[in-house]
Amino acid sequence: MFVNSLNGIIYGSFLALTSLGLSLVFGLGRVVNFAHGVLYALGGYFFIIFLPSLGWGAMVFAPLVVVPLAIAMEWLTIAPIRNRDEIYTLLVTFGLSFMITGAIEYLWGTETTLIKPPVIFQGTVDILGNQFPVYRLFASALSLLVTGLVFVFIQFTAVGLKIRAITDDNEMAEALGINTRWLLTSIFGGAAGFAAFAGALGAPIFSVEPEMGMGIIIDSFLAVILGGLGHLPGTAVGAFIVALAKSIGGGYIAEWAIAVLFLVVAAIMVLRPRGVFGRGRIA
Amino acid sequence: MATRSTDTRKRWFSVSRPAVMFIVASFALVAAFSSPAFAAKKDPIKIGVLSFLSGKLKPIGDEITTGIQTAVKMHGPVMGRSIELILEDSLVNAQVAVTKATKLVQKNQVTAILGTSTLEALALLPVANRLRVPIITSNSGSAVITGEKCNYWVFQTNPTPQMAVVAMDSLINDTPKFKAAKWFTMGHDYPWSRRVARSVKIVKGVNYVGEAYAPLDTTDWAPFIAKVRASGATAVVIPVTLGTPLVQFIQQANEFGLTKQATLVAPIGLPDWLIAKLGELSTHIVSAGAWSAWRLEDTIPTTKKFNELYYKMHGRVAGMQAIQAGTAAQLLFNAIEKAGSTDGKAIVAALEKLDVEAPAGRMRFQKDGRMAEVALILGRIEKLKKPKYGAMYAQSVNALPASKTLEPAKKLGCNLKK
Repeated sequence: MFVNSLNGIIYGSFLALTSLGLSLVFGLGRVVNFAHGVLYALGGYFFIIFLPSLGWGAMVFAPLVVVPLAIAMEWLTIAPIRNRDEIYTLLVTFGLSFMITGAIEYLWGTETTLIKPPVIFQGTVDILGNQFPVYRLFASALSLLVTGLVFVFIQFTAVGLKIRAITDDNEMAEALGINTRWLLTSIFGGAAGFAAFAGALGAPIFSVEPEMGMGIIIDSFLAVILGGLGHLPGTAVGAFIVALAKSIGGGYIAEWAIAVLFLVVAAIMVLRPRGVFGRGRIA
Repeated sequence: MATRSTDTRKRWFSVSRPAVMFIVASFALVAAFSSPAFAAKKDPIKIGVLSFLSGKLKPIGDEITTGIQTAVKMHGPVMGRSIELILEDSLVNAQVAVTKATKLVQKNQVTAILGTSTLEALALLPVANRLRVPIITSNSGSAVITGEKCNYWVFQTNPTPQMAVVAMDSLINDTPKFKAAKWFTMGHDYPWSRRVARSVKIVKGVNYVGEAYAPLDTTDWAPFIAKVRASGATAVVIPVTLGTPLVQFIQQANEFGLTKQATLVAPIGLPDWLIAKLGELSTHIVSAGAWSAWRLEDTIPTTKKFNELYYKMHGRVAGMQAIQAGTAAQLLFNAIEKAGSTDGKAIVAALEKLDVEAPAGRMRFQKDGRMAEVALILGRIEKLKKPKYGAMYAQSVNALPASKTLEPAKKLGCNLKK
C-alpha cells in the first residue's frame, strides 16, 4: 500500500502540473483545449533538441520556445471564435492536436527517444525498504514547487487578482477595464509553458514520442473534471485522486485499474457534480 | 563458262552479302535481347507491397519495404524480366488495406502482394479468393491466418506467436538459471499475454509467482513494476506491445532497479531497431522467439549475402522484419521462376513445392498448409565485441527448428479449399 501510495503521489504531483494549465484556460476563456497534450509533447521535443547544446538548461528553454508558438496558435485559431459556444474551441483544438502531431512526425519522425536522467539523479533511493528512482522524486518535488508558485501568483499578485476576476465573471471584469483579450492570450501561452515544462520534465521517465501527450491529456481532463471545471485547487486535488486511483488500482487489481479510476470519477461526479470542493462550473 | 563462273561468283556475292548481314544482325539481336539491359526493358513483373508507410508504425513498414527492395536487388531479373515494386500505404486500417489491395490487383495488375502485417493479412483473408494473387505475409502475429482461417492464396513466412509460446518451454528447460527462477508475467491486457503466461505456467516444475496485465494505454508502469518486485520474481516474461510501450516498460523497469533483480524475457524477441534504441538496457533481455536474426549469417551464406547488400543499400543492420520480408520476396521470385509463369495458380503450386535457402534460413511451406517451416531463435541480447553493420548490440543465436514448434496444418485447424 505504501509503495503504491507513494507512486500515486509522485505521478499526482506531475499530473497536477499538466492539469493546471488546462484548468486555467477553461476557467478564463471557456476553452476546452484538446491541444494541451501536443503542447506537452512539443515541450519534450524541444527539450531533446536543445539538450545537446544547453544541457539540462533545455528544460527551462523548451517552454520558452513553446509559449510564443502557443500564443500564435491562440491568436490565429481560438481568439476569432472565442465568443461562440465551447464546442467550437473544442473542435478547433481537437483538429490542431492532430495537425501538430502530424507536424511532429513529419519533422522529427515517429520513433521513441529515450533520455537518461542527469547523473546526480540516476539510481534509486531506499524508502522504508522500497526502492524509488531518485529522478522521479526530484521531478515530483519540482512539479509541486511550480504548482505552488502558480497558486501564490494567482492568490497574491495583481495579475492573479485579474485572473480570478475574469474566472468569476468575464463580462464584469471587462466592464471594470480589465483587458481580458490580452490576459486570455497570455494565460493560454503560460498554460502551454507549464505543459511544455511538464513534457521536458517527464522525458526521462516517459520517453519522448509524437503521441506522448495523448495519455497525459486524458488523465489531465479527468483531474480537471474531478476538481471542478476551472477551479485550480480542486484540479490539483483531482490530479492526486486520479493518480492514486490508477496507482493503487494498478497495484492490486491491474486489469481493473482503468475501471477503478472511472468508477471513482463517476462516484465523485454523482456526489459532487461541481468538483471535489463544489466550486467548479457545471460547464 | 568463265563468264558464267564470274556471274555465279557475283550472284553468290550479291546474295551472300544480305545473308551475312542477316546473320550478323541476328547475332546482334540475340545478344541484345538476352542481355540484362534488355531484360529490364521487357515488361517488368509488378509486385504489390502493402504495408505501414506512415504514422506510428512507419519504422516497421520501412523495415519491410527495405527488406523487399534488398531481395529484388539480390535476386536480379526474374524469368528475364525486371521487378517493379508498387508500394501502397495501408494507413494501419483494415478497410484501406482491402481497397489498396484491390487497386494493386485491378489497376496495377500485380502478380503478388508482399509486405503485409497482421492487420492487412487478416483484412485480406476474406477477399483473397476474389483477388486471386498469391499473398505472402511476413510480419503476422495471428494464428488464424495459417490456422483455422487459412486460405489457398495466403502464405506466411514469420513464426506465429503460438510457435514462440512452444519455444518458451524449450527456453526454460534448457537454461538452468531459468529452471530455478521465480517466474512472473507482466504484460498488456489482451489474450496473447495470457497465452504467453499459460505457456510458462504449464512448464513442468516451474516456480510461477504471479502475473499482472496493464491497460494498453499505460505510460506509467510504476504500480505494475512494484507488484513484480513485491513477488520476488527473478524472471519476468514481458508480453508487452512492441514499440513505445515496450521501450517505456524496459526503461522504467531499469529505473526501479527491476533489471538488477530479474531477467526480462521478451516472448517474441526484439526488433533490431528497438535493440539499437535501448542500447545497454537491451542486455537485460533474453529473447524467447525472435522471428529472425541477422546473426544467422555465421551459418547461412544467403543471410550473409542479404545482410551485406542490405547494409550497402540502407546503411544499417537488417532487422527481423527486413529479413522476413526479404525471405518472402525471395520465395516468391523462386516460385515464379519455378512456375515459369506469372499466373497466380501456377505460382501457388510452385510455392507449395518450394525448398530454398532464404535470408531467414532453409525454407519450405508445411504440407497441406500455408505456414513456412521457419526456425525460431532464442538467446540473450549481448554487446558485440566489434560493431557490425552499424549494430552494437544483437541477440545471440540459438536456433530452434520448426519441427519442435510447428504443429501439422490439420492440427492448427487449416483445411485448404482450392
